[in-house]
Amino acid sequence: MSLEARVALQKGLLDLDAQLTVRGSEVVVLLGPNAAGKTTLLRALAGLIPLSSGRVLLDGTVLEDAAAGVRVSTERRPIGVVFQDYLLFPHLTVLDNVAFGLRARGAGRRAAREFAGQWLEGMGLSAHAAEKPRALSGGQAQRVALARALATDPRLLLLDEPLAAMDAGARADLRRELNRHLGEFDGTCLLVTHDPIEAMTLADQLVVLEEGRVVQAGTPEDVSSQPRSRYVADLVGLNLFRGRGHCNVIELPSGERIVAADPVAADSEVFVVIPPRAVSLHRANPEGSPRNVWPGTAGSLDIAGERIRVHMTGSMPLISEVTPAAVAALRLGDGGPVWASVKAVEIVVYPA
Amino acid sequence: MTMEHPLTGQRPSRDRDVHGGLAVVAGDSIVADRAAPWPRRRPSEGAPHPRRTRPGAAAPTGFVPLAVLAVAFLALPLMALVVRAPWRHLPAELTAPGVLTALRLSLVCSLGAVAVSVLLGVPLAWLLARVRFRGRNLVRALVMLPMVLPPVVGGVALLLAFGRNGLAGQWLDRAFGVSLPFTTAGAVVAEAFVAMPFLVITVEAGLRAMDRRYEDAAATLGAGRWTTFRRVTLPLIAPALGAGGALCWARALGEFGATITFAGNLPGSTQTMPLAVYLALQNNTDAAITLSLVMLAISLTVLVLLRDRWFPAR
Repeated sequence: MSLEARVALQKGLLDLDAQLTVRGSEVVVLLGPNAAGKTTLLRALAGLIPLSSGRVLLDGTVLEDAAAGVRVSTERRPIGVVFQDYLLFPHLTVLDNVAFGLRARGAGRRAAREFAGQWLEGMGLSAHAAEKPRALSGGQAQRVALARALATDPRLLLLDEPLAAMDAGARADLRRELNRHLGEFDGTCLLVTHDPIEAMTLADQLVVLEEGRVVQAGTPEDVSSQPRSRYVADLVGLNLFRGRGHCNVIELPSGERIVAADPVAADSEVFVVIPPRAVSLHRANPEGSPRNVWPGTAGSLDIAGERIRVHMTGSMPLISEVTPAAVAALRLGDGGPVWASVKAVEIVVYPA
Repeated sequence: MTMEHPLTGQRPSRDRDVHGGLAVVAGDSIVADRAAPWPRRRPSEGAPHPRRTRPGAAAPTGFVPLAVLAVAFLALPLMALVVRAPWRHLPAELTAPGVLTALRLSLVCSLGAVAVSVLLGVPLAWLLARVRFRGRNLVRALVMLPMVLPPVVGGVALLLAFGRNGLAGQWLDRAFGVSLPFTTAGAVVAEAFVAMPFLVITVEAGLRAMDRRYEDAAATLGAGRWTTFRRVTLPLIAPALGAGGALCWARALGEFGATITFAGNLPGSTQTMPLAVYLALQNNTDAAITLSLVMLAISLTVLVLLRDRWFPAR
């Protein structure tokens, strides 16, 4: 099982150029903000949009090669797709929706229905076989869409925001269920989402796409502990900066300096992560051990669990996570000038 | 750029109208039409209509009597038809040999015209809706021309094209021994010529309104173009096809000018109901009225069948 793809194309304002390599029967999650090109990438892999350059290789078979002019049409690709709002055919029963792919690939009506019936049974949907899709709940529709895509025995399964249409309450259950079904699927699976929780819980591998480019790829742990873009840092709630290191000092483009505990390779581009819990706030300029002190203004507050996140604005914008008691004692709700301090040992530095 | 109001000197803001210094915000909320992905609204429950009528709105002076006059003008002739109908011997009139012949011929010709229109018109509508090609707008204009062309002109044009000495008629006659003018087939051709545009534009609109991603979904399931069209596209545009077909049929049924010009007025082979009505009016008024009533009934039926599509409750 392997997928090797370089997908490059232009569509409207989007300039997509992304490389993807997937080996084994992993679940790869493509995470990115809206309009990053995630859905376009998925549609290109399915053959619904032609590449302007690049190629798509699935299990060693060329599905598309722009340079060589090779292009296998969508209906001949061994790829199953679960679309964002499922796109179950409204005029067909649930059973005929699932049987559609088998019929289209040449199976007889009875054989296709029998096989589709088995799939529905596996999904616990036998009772709904004769219904039209509009009678289904969101979760049932998702399972039917999954059964429809998997019934044709694809080698690559693409899922476009499979949980986006669900309300928040039902999501956790549906995510667990989806995880179970994806675990049973022995092919490669690529799932698109803009929901970080979905990404972290479903992914074996995470690929972050921003403005048509892959900005980071790796396991969810790697990506969340060492973010390489503002988008990812915001998702996982870390302060992220990029600057040039000299000895153990990192100079930011804004002119501010961050002092780390360990020396950094001289004159190299680095990322600096400051966990919000490591940021202490003071009403007066603190004295003593911390070597990193920046003045700023206390901005908006929001609640994160039992702590409160304070957004400090100024030349060194930082998020600080403090206790409600500290917010009250420092009267942070009133805004006004504050000092932020961070110990050098709390600062994480890695090459850009 | 907003301009100062010429009378009050105020600058209206973007979403308000200034009426004598009183800001009026439109009472109808604007409905964001981004359909919730799930659950889907049924089409009949569609997004709430912005209300265009409101009770007690004050009309400009003179509008009410003029509107009443318009309704009377449109309704009175139809009422006259109903009032003057020979209700007592209607069954006899309806079953008179001439009437039945004309009725049967009308049905055969109009349904034939619908069949021709569907066979040729659906692929044309598909191409107009889905394929960007040079001259597409020109083709669309040509297709719509018979809708506005005087039918008699259409009949003359058909004669020049398919007549015994016409551009294509000559060849048809020589190669196949087929001659269309003054035959039932000719009546079908004349009716299809004027009625097909109604089908084409309705089906094209249906294809444009359809969510094409269903076709993408079919392709990812392994369906080729023809299978996708047959099993997904066609069922999804069935309402548009039905409406277009009904409209096309109604137009074909009432066709007069092109038919009499191209196919003539031969009882039993080309004398359809409208021609029979016109002829009967000269000597047998009751027969003319009876035939007219039949056609009125058919028109009303079509209107009722299509009312949800064209006149959703406001």
